[in-house]
Amino acid sequence: MKTTLPEVLAPAGSLEKLKVAVLYGANAVYAGGQKFGLRTAADNFTLDELREGMDFAHARGSKVYVVLNSFLHDKDLAELPDFVRFLEEIGADAVIVSDLGVVRTVRALSKIPVHVSTQASTLNVEAAKFWKSMGATRIVLGREVSIKDAGIIRREADIEIEMFIHGSMCMAYSGNCVISNFTQGRDSNRGGCAHSCRFEYTLEDLATKEKKSAFFMSSKDLQGLRLLKDFIDAGIDSLKIEGRMKSHLYAGTMSKVYSEALRYYEEHGDFLSDDLLNWEKELSKVSHRSYTEASLENPAGAESIFNERENNSAAEWKMVGTVLKSSPESGIVIEVRNAFNQGDELEILPFRGSPVTVVAHEIMDLTRKTILRTKPTTIVRLPYHAGINSSQLVRQKSV
Amino acid sequence: MKLTGFAENLHELSLLKENGTEEVILGMRAFSRFGRLDENTFFPMVKRARELGLRIIFEWDILMTEESFKKTVADISPFLDVADAVRVQDPGAYHWAIQQTKKPLQFVAENGNHNIEALLGWCHAGAGRIERIILSIELSRDSILDYCQKLPVPAELLGLGRILLFYSPRSLLSPLNPERETVNEDIHALGESEESPHKGFPVLENRHGTFMFHIKEFCLLDYASDLKSLGLSFLRIDQRFNERNFFPEAAKTANREKMFESFREEYPQELMRGFYHVNKSDVLFPKLKNMRLQNRSGDYLGEVLEAEKGSHLAILVKNLRGIRVGDKFRIVHPKGALFEGEIHSLKDVNMTEQTFIPHDDLAIIPFINGVWVKSQVFLSTTNE
Repeated sequence: MKTTLPEVLAPAGSLEKLKVAVLYGANAVYAGGQKFGLRTAADNFTLDELREGMDFAHARGSKVYVVLNSFLHDKDLAELPDFVRFLEEIGADAVIVSDLGVVRTVRALSKIPVHVSTQASTLNVEAAKFWKSMGATRIVLGREVSIKDAGIIRREADIEIEMFIHGSMCMAYSGNCVISNFTQGRDSNRGGCAHSCRFEYTLEDLATKEKKSAFFMSSKDLQGLRLLKDFIDAGIDSLKIEGRMKSHLYAGTMSKVYSEALRYYEEHGDFLSDDLLNWEKELSKVSHRSYTEASLENPAGAESIFNERENNSAAEWKMVGTVLKSSPESGIVIEVRNAFNQGDELEILPFRGSPVTVVAHEIMDLTRKTILRTKPTTIVRLPYHAGINSSQLVRQKSV
Repeated sequence: MKLTGFAENLHELSLLKENGTEEVILGMRAFSRFGRLDENTFFPMVKRARELGLRIIFEWDILMTEESFKKTVADISPFLDVADAVRVQDPGAYHWAIQQTKKPLQFVAENGNHNIEALLGWCHAGAGRIERIILSIELSRDSILDYCQKLPVPAELLGLGRILLFYSPRSLLSPLNPERETVNEDIHALGESEESPHKGFPVLENRHGTFMFHIKEFCLLDYASDLKSLGLSFLRIDQRFNERNFFPEAAKTANREKMFESFREEYPQELMRGFYHVNKSDVLFPKLKNMRLQNRSGDYLGEVLEAEKGSHLAILVKNLRGIRVGDKFRIVHPKGALFEGEIHSLKDVNMTEQTFIPHDDLAIIPFINGVWVKSQVFLSTTNE
């Protein structure tokens, strides 16, 4: 019997990131419009961009889910119907919703499938049954649920299940933190989260009067690569990567690694590959906090706390640019984000397969004048290299 | 409008009764976030509450993963059976209680549920079993009025008590004190954030996880008569965290038998009314957005990726129609300056003259003094 593999669902914080994620293998992406989502500070999509992103993804066999997962207030909800009708018109594959009022509104206006957001903290079979009875077709489980329990929920509630496999994590039950609301006047559940959990706190134990300083509410990042087989065996439908605010390199690397790993499984029926180490190396090349498997196997314990200041997060590699064009005539044309020098070793991430190492023996500017060092926000040419295509990401090991 | 509250001992039951309440909320350690009753203390409380004629509301407000849920429902029946109603927040508990019990339900809609459509949804899905909705303390007066008018069941709101800011299932305090020997002991701490001028956030770790509260307590006692006029049915007084129970004073204040100013002076915690007058917790959002990026619809042609002084501008074409010679354009500098012009010369990435550059390609035009990288290019009039 052929095993059905879960989809890789990648974040798309902008139209460019959507294209990157799809090209690097994401089976689906999730994106937000200018309203109704939880990433107010992200670029997000205009209506034109949503339409273009939908067409781009669909043309390549990928799906697009649109987030409506704010806890909408009445005035927000009043603005929702026009947007829902628009989403149905452009063929959105689903909307991601955390509020019952939004579920009811979407259901009343359209046939767009409804996925219940992790913000709703759905944690058990009965909760999944409830949302199913409200018309939901998929549950994005709370990050506190183990893979084993997720499989039980999948079977007993008979509904599609999506689980986070990678990315930053709320320490609180999602949707159950209002620190920003009451301390900074910013509604964390409408996109205004101030990330108060990432700061250091001095804590006085009231019994011992002892004081200690700690980042006690900050969670390590989730990384579930080694548990892929468990996700598959549990019948999980979708593996979600957090991070709409994160970089193009992040969107591309995550989409590539997880989709390649699943393709390997499809071909070999296991993950017993040297590639596993390579995939893990790839995941470590993007900026991240220390990794944890959190509650995927057992409830997250003390080891899941990221008791460090944020800027200590690891970033072994930096993104130096994006390939804009690659042909024998043009050479490899790169939009430079971080400077590099003549002679530097760069890696270009192909959409499939191992990174291609390119040494910048010769760098030219757009007018074909030779230069020794690039500058950010410029466009340069490297000599043509077969197999390199536009939209591929260029990275360099951090010094 | 009636008052409601919690009791953790027989004395507190009497306090409730003496101050005019007709019900008591009982929370057990196993099922309630902050409940402290166990099976030895719960049943005597039930017995005494019955003697006093108090209706018993059983609080089951924890969130539960599947394993925890199964264990909980296996243990809960003896306690649920003696209650008059059950109070739940987990949608799983809500669904299970509707399917598996005959008890009236009180749904805690304090988390989100800031629109009438959601609240009506919880009522309607309850198949006639929802007897009360507990509203969020983030609601403004206008919203409370609206909901009280439209909801088919009575509504309840916190009138005095701690503001829960954060609920995590993880044990976050005990790792700081690994030498502690007692397992499952409640740990209380006061937190001081480096980011916030506020000091003294109460933090609690218990068997259900870790909870952080605001340094001030929520209080609408001075608006009790206003809330009554809005149609609110129940005002909750939560004294579970204070050494001395101020329920009698709170009740007198709510009933205007005691001056609010006098109550506030006497009360051990600072008080706040949250968003009662107005909820503007989205008013800062425009400042979080890069407004330059908000104008990309319709006539948006693309973005300047390179500006080589005296030579050229390289524009990444983002409009599906592409760019043509003869197009009239306007360019908006990141700082807002406006430049207008017409495309007379157009080159592709190979610096070859073209009359048209398609979507997603680089269009090279002559440099315009003052235009810089990240400037946005818009179509003024077309050459079509």
